[in-house]
Amino acid sequence: MSSTVIPFGPQHPVLPEPLHIKLVMEDENIVDAIPAIGYVHRGLEKLTETKEFTQNVFVVERVCGICSVMHAMAYCQGIEELMNIEISDRAKFLRVIWAELHRMHSHLLWLGLLADAFGFESLFMQVWRDREKVMDIMEETAGARVVISANTIGGTRRDLSKEQMVKINVTIDEIKKDLQQVEAVFLNNYTVKHRLVGRGILSKADAIELCAVGPMARAAGIPMDLRTTGYSAYGQLDFEPVTHPDGDNYARTYVRLYEVYQSIDLIKQAIAKIPEGEHVVPVKGNPPKGEVISRVEQPRGEVLYYLRANGTKNLERLRLRTPTFANIPSLIKMLPGSQLSDVPLLILTIDPCISCTER
Amino acid sequence: MLKMVENVFKNLVSKPATRMYPFEKREPFKDSRGQIEGCEIDKCIFCGICQRKCPANAIVVNKAEKSWEINQFKCVICNACVEVCPKKCIVASASHKTASAVKESLKIVQAEKPVEVEDASKVTA
Amino acid sequence: MIENLVEITCDQLLGEISKAKLEGYRFVTASCADNGDDTIDIIYHFDKDYGMRNYKVNVKKGEEVPSISKIIFSALLVENEMKELFGLNITGIVVDYGGHMLLSEEELGSPFLRQQITIEQRGGKKE
Repeated sequence: MSSTVIPFGPQHPVLPEPLHIKLVMEDENIVDAIPAIGYVHRGLEKLTETKEFTQNVFVVERVCGICSVMHAMAYCQGIEELMNIEISDRAKFLRVIWAELHRMHSHLLWLGLLADAFGFESLFMQVWRDREKVMDIMEETAGARVVISANTIGGTRRDLSKEQMVKINVTIDEIKKDLQQVEAVFLNNYTVKHRLVGRGILSKADAIELCAVGPMARAAGIPMDLRTTGYSAYGQLDFEPVTHPDGDNYARTYVRLYEVYQSIDLIKQAIAKIPEGEHVVPVKGNPPKGEVISRVEQPRGEVLYYLRANGTKNLERLRLRTPTFANIPSLIKMLPGSQLSDVPLLILTIDPCISCTER
Repeated sequence: MLKMVENVFKNLVSKPATRMYPFEKREPFKDSRGQIEGCEIDKCIFCGICQRKCPANAIVVNKAEKSWEINQFKCVICNACVEVCPKKCIVASASHKTASAVKESLKIVQAEKPVEVEDASKVTA
Repeated sequence: MIENLVEITCDQLLGEISKAKLEGYRFVTASCADNGDDTIDIIYHFDKDYGMRNYKVNVKKGEEVPSISKIIFSALLVENEMKELFGLNITGIVVDYGGHMLLSEEELGSPFLRQQITIEQRGGKKE
């Protein structure tokens, strides 16, 4: 049978960002897929070499809006390790609170996009209404909605007052209640299940072979979550990675939905355990020197920062690997064998963040 | 499914979650980073720290001309300049800048001569 | 400062990488850094149960580096990226974008190298 090549993207209603995939089709079935990226390459890694290491916090935050806290956190952790800065316990807990708020808003955004992708407009609005509450918390506590610039080398830029923490607690309770109402639609609705169950299967063996990270790996039954290594204050909090054995679209929805609950729980634990103290320590001493690798768990998976500094104010090299970069091979693997009508959902379930990927 | 039905009925009778924007505006939060409004030029000592610390190179300080200039379209509103300013003379505002028709509107704030008493033209967004 | 850093040569690369894979290591990514003295460091990062192992290969500019994407498929994107941004001569990548994964034809070759960049205006116009 002769095959047809259908270009998918870079402009497509389901994609917020430009990802181009050439789909080689036989009838309705995909036999091969070739991804093409490079529409939003900004050269941010090179830019960091011209900025001071303190300014780079703002640069790396702009790699990706949706996970800006985690980018800054990974970068600051790396620099702090190089300069032997011990940050206060309070700063660690504050970082966790903001990071988990960020994870919540990222996953809620994704759940909304998923609902939109399978054509459930009202569900999309329900989820994003709750997301707006998280955004409001962020603006109130950190000063901005998305790129909140909460981290700085040596701690955090702002502190949370008691009233703010009470307010966060109340708001996330509301979100939990609202989400429990829509949870059944995502997980039990007959039509929604038809679009999700059994589509886009990534088996556990494939996930290991293709080095999938984050919710992709966890939905394939691999309990891989860097937060369990206990960086920042995660070591003092009690949680288990959310996993699902199936590895299909449904499993990925399940994992992300339950990670929102997990984040709510983590924020509550962090607020209950946060110690008193300073939220930032002054940065003294020489500029960083040496090499370091810093990894944290983002909403989409593991991010790796490789920093090389030579004792001057500018870094010699900053390299970052974002989770979507690691998940694209899995996407290439999942696409062949599926139907054209499933492609938008399939691409969406890896939670692609293309401007992250290309930096 | 019943929970969603409950939700639907609640939404039917409750107020919308959105605002009628141009008529009803939300008050910005207290410490929100809306924009860098300008500089209290009388206090400024033209040290240039804000220019050096700005990650977006949006600020230009000219000591000879005694001018402080910000390109608000380059500015990423990180408020790093506000934090490093030794005189705390950079004014940050919680309200966001509205759209403007001319993009080239660089803000130049000139300092008055030390002898003459002249009202420094306050710049509004 | 990097845990488990193993320095290997270019010839040992494929052997060591297959060994790491057999031992159950997950390929995280590869990083590239220009040393400024005509050599480039490539560091292959691996992870197993949250512990890292890093292989560092020091290559001369223009030296041929075998692709590991035949052993680890997911290395193809990062190898294409290194090839473009650092001008590494990586041979035999499974899907080779030919230097146009991130960059278009109008852009500079290998922009991440430390090199003298002379910018010529397109069409000979000068501002």
